[in-house]
Amino acid sequence: MAISKPSPAIPEPLIETLEARELVIDIPGRPAGRPLYLRIAPGERWGVLGPNGAGKTTLLHTLAGLRAPRSGEVRLGGKPLSRLTRRALARRLGIVFQTHHDDFPATVRETALIGRHPFIVPWQQEGPEDLARAEAALERLDLSHLADRELSTLSGGERQRVSLATLLTQAPQLWLADEPTNHLDLHHQVAVMELLAEQAARGCGVVMCLHDLNLAARWCSHLLLLYPGGEVCWGEADSMLVPSALEGLYGQALTTAMVDGAPVFVPKR
Amino acid sequence: MADASVHRVSRKRRLRPLAWLALAALLALAIALALGSVGIAPDELAAVLLGGGDALHQTLVLELRLPRALAAFGTGALLALAGALMQILLRNPLADPYVLGLSGGASVAALLAMLAGASMALVSGAAFVGALVSILIVFGLAHGTGSWTPTRLLLTGVVMAAGWGALISFLLAVSPVDQLPGMLYWLMGDLAYAGSPWPVLSVAVISLLVVTPLGRTLNVLARGGLQAAALGVAVRPLEWTLYLLASLLTAVAVTTAGSVGFVGLMVPHMLRLRLGNDQRLILPASLLAGGTLLTLADTLARTLIAPQQLPVGVITALLGVPSFLYLLSRSR
Amino acid sequence: MHKRARSVSMAVLPLTLIIGLGAGLPGIARAEVCVGDDAGHELCLEAPAKRIVALSPGVTELLFAAGAGERVVGAVSFSDYPVAAQALPRVGSYDRLDLEALLALEPDLVVAWQGGNPREQVERLSRLGLPVYFSDVEDFAGVAGTLERFGTLAGTPEVGATTAASLREEVATLRERYANAAPVPVFYQVWEQPLMTINGEHWISRSLELCGGVNLFADESTLAPRIGVESVLARDPEAIITGGMGKPDSTWLEAWRDFPQLTAVQRDNLFFVDPDLVQRATPRLVEGTRQLCQRLEVARGRR
Repeated sequence: MAISKPSPAIPEPLIETLEARELVIDIPGRPAGRPLYLRIAPGERWGVLGPNGAGKTTLLHTLAGLRAPRSGEVRLGGKPLSRLTRRALARRLGIVFQTHHDDFPATVRETALIGRHPFIVPWQQEGPEDLARAEAALERLDLSHLADRELSTLSGGERQRVSLATLLTQAPQLWLADEPTNHLDLHHQVAVMELLAEQAARGCGVVMCLHDLNLAARWCSHLLLLYPGGEVCWGEADSMLVPSALEGLYGQALTTAMVDGAPVFVPKR
Repeated sequence: MADASVHRVSRKRRLRPLAWLALAALLALAIALALGSVGIAPDELAAVLLGGGDALHQTLVLELRLPRALAAFGTGALLALAGALMQILLRNPLADPYVLGLSGGASVAALLAMLAGASMALVSGAAFVGALVSILIVFGLAHGTGSWTPTRLLLTGVVMAAGWGALISFLLAVSPVDQLPGMLYWLMGDLAYAGSPWPVLSVAVISLLVVTPLGRTLNVLARGGLQAAALGVAVRPLEWTLYLLASLLTAVAVTTAGSVGFVGLMVPHMLRLRLGNDQRLILPASLLAGGTLLTLADTLARTLIAPQQLPVGVITALLGVPSFLYLLSRSR
Repeated sequence: MHKRARSVSMAVLPLTLIIGLGAGLPGIARAEVCVGDDAGHELCLEAPAKRIVALSPGVTELLFAAGAGERVVGAVSFSDYPVAAQALPRVGSYDRLDLEALLALEPDLVVAWQGGNPREQVERLSRLGLPVYFSDVEDFAGVAGTLERFGTLAGTPEVGATTAASLREEVATLRERYANAAPVPVFYQVWEQPLMTINGEHWISRSLELCGGVNLFADESTLAPRIGVESVLARDPEAIITGGMGKPDSTWLEAWRDFPQLTAVQRDNLFFVDPDLVQRATPRLVEGTRQLCQRLEVARGRR
């Protein structure tokens, strides 16, 4: 198993690099496990894999500064997240959540438009440019025809795409996505992975929690495996996609095949 | 498409409903001035408003109807605004200004003051202090624990409300019979006891100036605390600001007219059914609609079976429930 | 119609004008009348009141008894005695006044019920310049004194004084007759659900006392305390008296027969008195007291 260790001399970080230093995420009642040293550089597409309850969402929230770590710290552009204002952070880092709180009525367009919130000063209104960005994001996620619909009338997959449209409207340099393909049909799963890859190609850093090994194998440049006991390992995707490591991760025997030059994993019966 | 959409979020889209609501508010105030148990013809009313007219009519319109109508408007405005804020704070469209036990604290203190034979001004003062005590207790209990969530605040407040409710029943049970009518009317809410309208009105205007710039941020908060934080909102300070603001508004309203029910729950809710949930529209609209509703309700309360006077809470419910159900049935 | 401004003196200006015509100078207090009210205020009118609004049924009754009936122009709900009061224009109920209706009657005197009327509303009347007399009658002495004062305020001092004197005399007669009567422990029932009685401060209790009755709940702290059936059983009244629901209705009394160990039940000392005669502290209370005394005499006869 190849594990990338942090190099002793840490280079001057790029502005958009997200770093985890000696990071231990805080899951109540669980031992600390191995501390994380991550550098998510522009253009990298990180996939976080692990069984249910391993802490994928907690890790993502900690990286987004929404949750305090047990120890260690997360830095963005060399600055600890705790020293950035929420607003400054939100201009550079965005996240798609797994669950949505649609307690109040809102249309699809309004929901996409709130992605511009960090960029508008309190006493200002959304301008035509903000709206154009939201419209473009809806268009990109195949949602233009639903723009005036209420969220409560959408299907699960449509709602998931609206969340991604909000993030695309926010257009951060770092994209965190918690199971972005949830509820999506196959076509839209691929479309979303293409969208994330496209953002990475533009120079964004992307971190996504995934359940689908094959999507991870196809679209991720780096992988981080979270084991239930707190053990963790990470590295470039090719080096991590080893059947024995993945079988240990899920406690599930796998059959591997190569398709189009990429490994495909199928559970054994 | 983009042009039409720009129009959709423009100020104009928000100003039109507000203009209508402002018109309705003026109309309601005019009706409140025109109607009473003594009939005053429109030309007489105009004469009075222009500074002339019959002396009795002057007294009726300027000394009785006007202050009471303004107090009703201010109280309704504060309650509806507080309700709208509380609903966002708790992310629960069914929250109302009283859900966190605030009116209970105010009522207990007011009843104690009445029992002690305090003057009306002291009863109002006691109600305000009681509301503040309730705010601080709930704040302290929900805040002291660290793991703070709206659910926790809601639970703390609801339990406090239940406790206050028991104390109110206790006070009613041990109070002298001749005090009971005054106490019950206070609990039901009644503008006959309202003093000067200026405190409620000025607080209403100031609070609107405070919350209007927060509108867009509140829209984001309505999507949940995590989502709001991810979009750059400092959630915890904002939530405490909301809590304290909504509580203070409610305290001032309760101090003016007792626990008038229904307005704080239904007005923001009804407006959302019609206008969506943009707080930049909903907050000022709540203010106007809440004031209008309570002004009309109070006018009915004092004229419907005059000279017998009804508690205004009865009318707000009788007016509000059918219109709410109508809007609900027509909404998607 | 005269112009009416908003200060105390201006409110009664029209009257002053009429009365002051002879003197040439309006405002001179030729016929000024002053009394102290039950709130401890000194109330002066520049002339006896001609348009009085009474804010409780009891006050209405007292005004009529003081000879001021013709000068009462407004009353509240349930002002049913004397019969002439039933036709008076209403200004709401005692606990919820219609100030507009009241002002429209253009009164020159408002007689409020201290403790019964909403303070804020009555205070507002004062602020609007209306003379307000606060009435709070607790016993026969209060009734008699109030009759005299109402007579003074309404320009019928003779009627007020005569009625007061005869009331005092009748009460003195009753007091004398029962001065040495054997004490009878009494439970006076005001209400059934919840079970309520009166304490020693209440005029009914004082009337009972006058007849040699002993109110078993005289020491309670509130005027009309809510009590439990057990405490009635524990104190074992010799007589149970009630005013009922306004009409002779024996159900409240019959309910006590479930407790045959009560002395009052064993001796059938379950009595009804006409509530109209005892529920208000007015001259009719003398007749009510007579009824109470008769009931106690019956109880003594059954020993």
